[in-house]
Amino acid sequence: MSEVLAIRDLFLRFRGYSGVSEVLHGISLDIRAGERVALVGESGSGKSVTARIVLGLLQELPSAQVEGGLFFEGEDLNGLSRRQWQALRGTSISMIFQDPTSSLNPVFTIGTQFAEVLRRRDPKLSREAADERASTLLQSVSIHDHARVLGAYPFQLSGGMNQRVVIAMALANHPSLLIADEPGTALDVTVQAQTLKLMHELVEQSGTAVFFISHNLGVVREFADRVFVIYRGRIVEQGPTPAIFENPGHAYTRALMAAVPRITGGGLPDLNDSEAAFLEPMVVHEGGDA
Amino acid sequence: MTPLLSLRHVSKTFGTGPRAVHAVRDVSFDVTQGECLAVVGESGSGKTTLANMILGVFGQSSGEIWFDGKGLPTRRTLEHRSAIQLVQQNPLSSLNPKRSVGASIRLGLDVFGIGTRSDRWRLVENSLEEVGLPGDFRRRPPAALSGGQCQRVAIARALACQSRLVILDEPTSALDVLVQARVLRLLEDLRRVKGLSYVFITHDLSVVRNVADRVAVFRAGELVECAQTRAIFEDPQMDYTRQLIGAVPVIADEELKLRESLSGGLPA
Amino acid sequence: MRRTVIILRRNPLSLLGAVLVAAVVLSAVLADYIAPFPEHRGSVVDFVYFNQGPTARNLMGTDLVGRDLFSRILYAFRISLILGVVVLAIAPPIGTLVGLFAGYLGGRTEFVLMRLTDVFLSIPPLVLAIAMMGVLEPTLMNAMLAVTAMWWPWYARLVYNIARSEREEGYVLAAEVIGASTLHITLREILPNCLPAIITKMTLDMGFVIIIASSLSFLGLGVQPPTPDLGSMVAEGARYLPDSWWLTVFPGLAILIAVFGFNLIGDALREILGADQ
Repeated sequence: MSEVLAIRDLFLRFRGYSGVSEVLHGISLDIRAGERVALVGESGSGKSVTARIVLGLLQELPSAQVEGGLFFEGEDLNGLSRRQWQALRGTSISMIFQDPTSSLNPVFTIGTQFAEVLRRRDPKLSREAADERASTLLQSVSIHDHARVLGAYPFQLSGGMNQRVVIAMALANHPSLLIADEPGTALDVTVQAQTLKLMHELVEQSGTAVFFISHNLGVVREFADRVFVIYRGRIVEQGPTPAIFENPGHAYTRALMAAVPRITGGGLPDLNDSEAAFLEPMVVHEGGDA
Repeated sequence: MTPLLSLRHVSKTFGTGPRAVHAVRDVSFDVTQGECLAVVGESGSGKTTLANMILGVFGQSSGEIWFDGKGLPTRRTLEHRSAIQLVQQNPLSSLNPKRSVGASIRLGLDVFGIGTRSDRWRLVENSLEEVGLPGDFRRRPPAALSGGQCQRVAIARALACQSRLVILDEPTSALDVLVQARVLRLLEDLRRVKGLSYVFITHDLSVVRNVADRVAVFRAGELVECAQTRAIFEDPQMDYTRQLIGAVPVIADEELKLRESLSGGLPA
Repeated sequence: MRRTVIILRRNPLSLLGAVLVAAVVLSAVLADYIAPFPEHRGSVVDFVYFNQGPTARNLMGTDLVGRDLFSRILYAFRISLILGVVVLAIAPPIGTLVGLFAGYLGGRTEFVLMRLTDVFLSIPPLVLAIAMMGVLEPTLMNAMLAVTAMWWPWYARLVYNIARSEREEGYVLAAEVIGASTLHITLREILPNCLPAIITKMTLDMGFVIIIASSLSFLGLGVQPPTPDLGSMVAEGARYLPDSWWLTVFPGLAILIAVFGFNLIGDALREILGADQ
């Protein structure tokens, strides 16, 4: 089975005012073609920086030291030039961020931004052809009045509409990997649920692998095939989604699950504050070949 | 028993004429002493407008708000201000970054004249200890505190003001799930011990299920459904309530079953 | 503190700024002791040594009436700094109060205060100063007045913008819910959050005030002879270029050093105080 993304023993250190601090202590992770893999953890656990490293954004920072293996479709990403990274982003690797409205440029219409995205892959694409392709893509995310949407500015559309636009754009160039960093967290619950369902269907159709970053266990359970749980820069548990949720093996994962309030009631959880146990070695669940 | 807080036909309109926005329309509900009422709704449902009217940030366009058996004027007396307090969503921004957390808590004591001058720092420390923080945290700037600790300070500020009704405006939605569990537990304990009443504004229905006595569901400024928590989750009367429950991401099988039994499903 | 040390070490230019400013301030304060010819600050005529280039006796040469330029530059620093300190002691507080109340209160207060600010901002600063000096007598006192009048609106704008965004912060709502007074909210809650930006701007402005003051006296509107002033020294010497180059080059360099120093320090302060407004 071919791996779209492989991270091997990745370290990240920041040089700050109070010396060097290590944010990632050697994490390894792999995503196979067409697979949906979630990296779940709390704020400050290192999940978002991991996404940024895969996108090559952190390597540009002078204060960041990135070390470890980073392979995309078998190709070593370390040592890629700035220009090569840029060529990769938006074509073979695309991304969706937390707030759809702020990730679109407010001074250009959706149509203009769509054309720009499509020209990343096909620089000579005419505006008419781009609009036509964009219309088809918008239809795939259940936007039927595409003429109005293409002519609109992002602030004229609702958050849910923008989220659909962002998803359509992210999948426009048939990427083999889509990185979704807390998608839809800024949206209302009903809208978030709809767009996640939509994204689920689309990536399944197109066979795009998804690297899904989230803090929300419920969303992860509904979206991912495999789960990596990260705690303070270390992967503490990994495995197929059902295994993780039915039989969490690591103390930290168990604490996380216990802390989530249930809609079936049962009151607030009692937390035993044994954070020392969170540093126990990694638990790996076998199986889960997609 | 007279309810602690009563809203009767309260409406709020911003602007006039064709551009008027009806943020809240004809809303009536009660909160009794010691009760936690959850106010649930999505963005634009009028939750925050409602909170601001109860707090007296601005007045209602029509209708009446009663507190402890008396009508509340828009210009609040000191007594009313101290009795109704607020805990906001963003833990960091609700504390002034340039002042110590103790100074932020003490402001209420100074304004309301609670305790003697020399006594107030001790009262500040007491309220910090009540929310599970060491008293000497009062000297710290907010930047030296975690999100959960900041939220505890905001709760301590409400306690120090001797408030009876606390408006909790998404108090845990910016927190990590482990921290959220502890803050919710603290709020629950304080309610029991001190007989506080809460108006708990949130969009997170799984939290609501476990902390609220009653739930008021809002949509576009209107009260859609208001009932006991159990009834809302097990036998919702309105489609919109079903939709909201159907959209909650869940982690356990029995939760999935509950969601499916409501079968509201998602709108296309 | 540690942060400050690291920022300073990482940015050696700020250290240079500190050295330059220290040198300027020290020479202004200690001019009486350093200057080889302290009496040359006033009207002294020395026809033996007039209009001479740099020598061991007169490090920067002498002017047209034989006064030691080096001594006069030291005293000119003193005038520039006094001017700067006075302007920056009056203009920022006025502008800050205007901006704070306009930004926090909004509505009619904002309209009146900020349109007044706009009126002052719409007049070119030098034109305003020239007009004022034309009406009033061209004295040091009036020069300060003129510069102050054109300086406070910039602080009003700066503070207004910060106050407007701070007004939306949760801590302001929290104070309002408690019922804190407007004075408390503006001065005790919002003002501390504006201070880093104000202090940074004041440091940068020290250099600009020196330039403006020099421009005024270059035009003959500022400090009057025989009081030494960098701007009028440049103006006077400009007529004798290029032969008597020292008459303009040394006072010009002095202006450059002072302005450059304050700018470097201002940049460092911006980073240390985190005031990227």
